[in-house]
Amino acid sequence: MVFTQQLVNGLMLGSIYISVAVAFTLTIGILNFLNFTIPALYMLAGMVGWSVSYYGLPFGLSEPLGWAPSLLVGITCSVLASLLVERFTYRYFKIKHGDSTEHAIPLVSSLGFLLIFEYAILGAHGSETRGFHTPFTDLNWRFADLVISIPQVTSLILSLCIVVGLSFMLKKTRIGRALRATAESPDTATLMGVEVRKIVPIVFVLTGLLCGLAGSIFAVNYSEVSPYMGDHVGTKAIAAMVIGGLGSVWGAIAGGLIVGISETFSIHFFGASSAQITVWGLLLVLLIFRPNGLFGHNAIGKGKF
Amino acid sequence: MLKLENVDVRYGPVHAVKSVSLEVDEAQIVAVVGANGAGKSSLLRAVAGAEKINSGNISFDGRPVNRLAAPERVKQGITLVPEGRQIFVSMTVEENLLMGAYTQDQVQIRSGIEAIFDRFPNLASRRHSLASVLSGGEQQMLAIGRAMIARPRLMMLDEPSLGLSPILVNQLFELILELNRQGISILLVEQNTKMALQAAERGYVLELGAVRMEGKASDLAADKSLAEAYLGDE
Ligand SMILES: Nc1ncnc2c1ncn2[C@@H]1O[C@H](COP(=O)(O)OP(=O)(O)O)[C@@H](O)[C@H]1O
Ligand SMILES: [Mg+2]
Repeated sequence: MVFTQQLVNGLMLGSIYISVAVAFTLTIGILNFLNFTIPALYMLAGMVGWSVSYYGLPFGLSEPLGWAPSLLVGITCSVLASLLVERFTYRYFKIKHGDSTEHAIPLVSSLGFLLIFEYAILGAHGSETRGFHTPFTDLNWRFADLVISIPQVTSLILSLCIVVGLSFMLKKTRIGRALRATAESPDTATLMGVEVRKIVPIVFVLTGLLCGLAGSIFAVNYSEVSPYMGDHVGTKAIAAMVIGGLGSVWGAIAGGLIVGISETFSIHFFGASSAQITVWGLLLVLLIFRPNGLFGHNAIGKGKF
Repeated sequence: MLKLENVDVRYGPVHAVKSVSLEVDEAQIVAVVGANGAGKSSLLRAVAGAEKINSGNISFDGRPVNRLAAPERVKQGITLVPEGRQIFVSMTVEENLLMGAYTQDQVQIRSGIEAIFDRFPNLASRRHSLASVLSGGEQQMLAIGRAMIARPRLMMLDEPSLGLSPILVNQLFELILELNRQGISILLVEQNTKMALQAAERGYVLELGAVRMEGKASDLAADKSLAEAYLGDE
């Protein structure tokens, strides 16, 4: 029973990692860019959502809002912040300096944005963990000893739907094909008439949406948010992406669930501080046997999604 | 229809294209030949808008296109079949054609795609396979089909015969002539100098980025000094 309960908890935790891992994998796959701001986008949705539900919109624009509209404001902030990152890290440096920037400058500047967003929130709201309450916080299904939280199941299904929908979009729509073509070869995509400069912001909007949704799902499921919530998720989601295979949407799902499950089991048997050791140990061992992760393609930078 | 005046392309210190002037008339086939590194690909990429020009002027239908980005030039009717085919190997055959039709009206492209599949039955039978499983010849057909579906008025081909068997090379040149008969102007870059000059009306010889000779293709093919330098062992 304990085993099943941990498995359920692990799956629920994994559902949070899935969306964030997919956000990482999209920017790496399409833009060859490890976007370090992702954990902050995740945190922004939660913290802004909490702030709006506690204080209302800034400048006295409204009374405190309900949980759902608050989270919508939070997600909107994540998307806007993501576009800000695109404008000032990716686009500015790419267009100004071309490919000579390699990956270091966008990477370092996205790390800069991570810290700026995090400390802006710390400055505004302090470092405390805040409670985030919804009407169905304690809605559970019980089977004998097994407790399954209904919001968590809903979130798992929601996460899977988002990722499957995204996968469908990449496969079946004109924009999706343009994104995949750009992922494989920006140069050839341009020759086909794809305006790569307009494709790039789409990736960042998707990134903001995925992170915002994941942050909101966390807030609803665990009834709390904090300025540091992104740090925990960021490293795990990167591990999930690598375990699943860089640039593979299905790999991100598998990786997210595997990381979630190994984390809960590790904490159960070896205590809280063991989680990172287990997850990253697993990752390193897996990479010895499968250098491309579970679903990865052998040529990074070619043929993803 | 296409006119280049004193076009320069530089990559930092490398001066790849030096003050090249070139013209392609309506429904004409023009060949550009020259050794490896002569700047042929750079020239085509500059016309396609994939490479910036440092000076000079490129006009299409009498209008300058210098300032247009590559996607805009595709919409104007300029397409490039790039060197090495550059098929999207992570996509299916049909998805590659859909990418070729990216700038086209999405409602009408279905019939365009069926027309390409009628023209190339080998591709039709693999339409849902990944393009990476195609043979070299089939990939070249796909690359040209992908360019055809954009309804170009000027099609540029960068060494399309590279790596193809003699039979396939013959088929390729037949296809190029057929496209030309349909009214598409062709700007053809080839290492296979002999065949290119046979197919073309006019030709240019590029050497170290500059035009060394130009004229009627048959005159160039007959030129003694050129034969020694480039056509020797073809
Ligand atoms: N992206 C690039 N960056 C730097 N140099 C380049 C680039 N592309 C081509 N060159 C150089 O420009 C010159 C012309 O190359 P290219 O146009 O490919 O010639 P060709 O197609 O006739 O073989 C060569 O010296 C080549 O090394
Ligand atoms: Mg070349």
